[in-house]
Amino acid sequence: MEATYKPSRSVKIAAALMLLVGVVAVITGFTTDPSRTWANLLLNNLFFLTISIGALMFYSLQYITNSSWSAMFQRIPLALGAFLPVAAILMLLLYFGLPDIYKWAQPGITETDKLIAHKSPFLNVPFYMIRIVVYFVLWISLAYALRKFSLKEDQQADLKYFNKSSYFSRIFIFVSVIFFSLAAIDWIMTIDAHWYSTLFGFRVMVTSMYYAVALIVLLLFFLNGKGYFPQLNQAHRHDLARYLFRFSIVFGYLWFMQFLIIWYANIPELTAYYYPRFVGEWQFFFYAEPLINFAIPFLVLMSDKVGRKKEVLISISLLLVVGLWISLFLQIMPGSYGAIRFGFVEVGLWIGYAGLFIIAVLETLSRSALVPKNHPLLEESVHHHL
Amino acid sequence: MSYKHIIGVFDDETLLLKAFRKLKENGVNIKDIYGPFADHDLMKAFAPESRLPYMAFIYGVMTIIGAFGFLYYTAVIDYPLNYGGKPYFNFPPFVVILFLLTILVTGGLSVFTFLGRTQLFPGKEAKMPDPKAMDDRFYLVLDQNFNPEDIKGWLKESGAEDILEKEIDF
Repeated sequence: MEATYKPSRSVKIAAALMLLVGVVAVITGFTTDPSRTWANLLLNNLFFLTISIGALMFYSLQYITNSSWSAMFQRIPLALGAFLPVAAILMLLLYFGLPDIYKWAQPGITETDKLIAHKSPFLNVPFYMIRIVVYFVLWISLAYALRKFSLKEDQQADLKYFNKSSYFSRIFIFVSVIFFSLAAIDWIMTIDAHWYSTLFGFRVMVTSMYYAVALIVLLLFFLNGKGYFPQLNQAHRHDLARYLFRFSIVFGYLWFMQFLIIWYANIPELTAYYYPRFVGEWQFFFYAEPLINFAIPFLVLMSDKVGRKKEVLISISLLLVVGLWISLFLQIMPGSYGAIRFGFVEVGLWIGYAGLFIIAVLETLSRSALVPKNHPLLEESVHHHL
Repeated sequence: MSYKHIIGVFDDETLLLKAFRKLKENGVNIKDIYGPFADHDLMKAFAPESRLPYMAFIYGVMTIIGAFGFLYYTAVIDYPLNYGGKPYFNFPPFVVILFLLTILVTGGLSVFTFLGRTQLFPGKEAKMPDPKAMDDRFYLVLDQNFNPEDIKGWLKESGAEDILEKEIDF
């Protein structure tokens, strides 16, 4: 119970090597094809930012609903949120690559493109950068507050920290629902500046929790394999499987609703987005996205006897990591870089970011007790059964 | 057909669960349990395996296939209408109807399967071991396939509040 996780030497070396691969990929990318590298940087930044925000939303949701089952491993989603400051710095560095990714950021575009000129009060570089700063200041300060109260509870058994966490969770969920939806519009939807979908921000925001739960599963079983969380039982696995199952339905629903309405309405500006994906050269990814993110998890996790098996949970979570990448690849690449390229830059950059993510998360995880000490719902969580 | 049954009355579900496990170990045939609320552990112990989800899955698959055939027949073969220049056979608009029909038909058939399997119907008179059963006590109805004195002893041991002997029709 008192154990604190210390990442072993081999894990640290592996993460550092991954980071090195990423640095090599960035260098090769910028020397060969800068525009492709900028698009990939955005993709990978969003990949891990999605997980961080989703994990913190999951954490807040546990406080808002007074859930006890997850109290035991609540430090895991909290640690997954530790990538936020790193993501903030990397996101601000994208300033130098904005014209490579976004058409609206290219100088002189407002004179030739009437639609972008009309949208320019919102879509201009200074306001865009201000928005990014505002998002990150809000998220990081709230994540810091949530972490502070959780750690103070370790030192002093007092219900007031639980109540404060609960209060800040409510603020965080509102802030993330509003501002992560807006951020998704800013970062992804404006790549195709002529196109819009009113569902887009909500879809990205809600499904972020889907992938966060997948990462929580992976990290939880990684630590469980090392001997931590010996109290993890079938009921916990059952609840995690149900989380993934419900979110797979949510994903399928929102993904299809966005497509169906645009397909049916047949408005040229909107179908221009789906045309290269639905019938053009991106078709493979278009069909792979719902298959990996919806169909396979839905069918596999349908039976709880299968879903609560550790191996099944881990393989579905690994599949969802691929699913998130494909989903972002399909949303970012056609509009920014415009051609399908899958090579060392894509793989290397992802590995580099993953290394950075692992370092940030495991460092944060090792700085506090793995199991919160004075959480009022801890006993209920340890003895969780259905 | 009515037989004589032994009924153990409990006022605590944890005591009932203990008695249930003890009797099961000794091979006593447990007919039914009556209680004011559902207890998950008890439900799992009494009926660990429900086949209803498998039936629901089969109904769902059958409905999807049937509804697809129906949609294909109406939209393509029998009454093809041109909406906005789209081809007659189109999967995207089918999905919503398939989804809703699957929920409706699977839900309905599952309810009827459940009613048929448990021989229930609206307006059926409930079989109660005692008029007070389900008020504020748990009633554990047992077969007399053992020496009744043994069963009564086990019930007493596990903390039964009262032990009744009644002829009930099951």
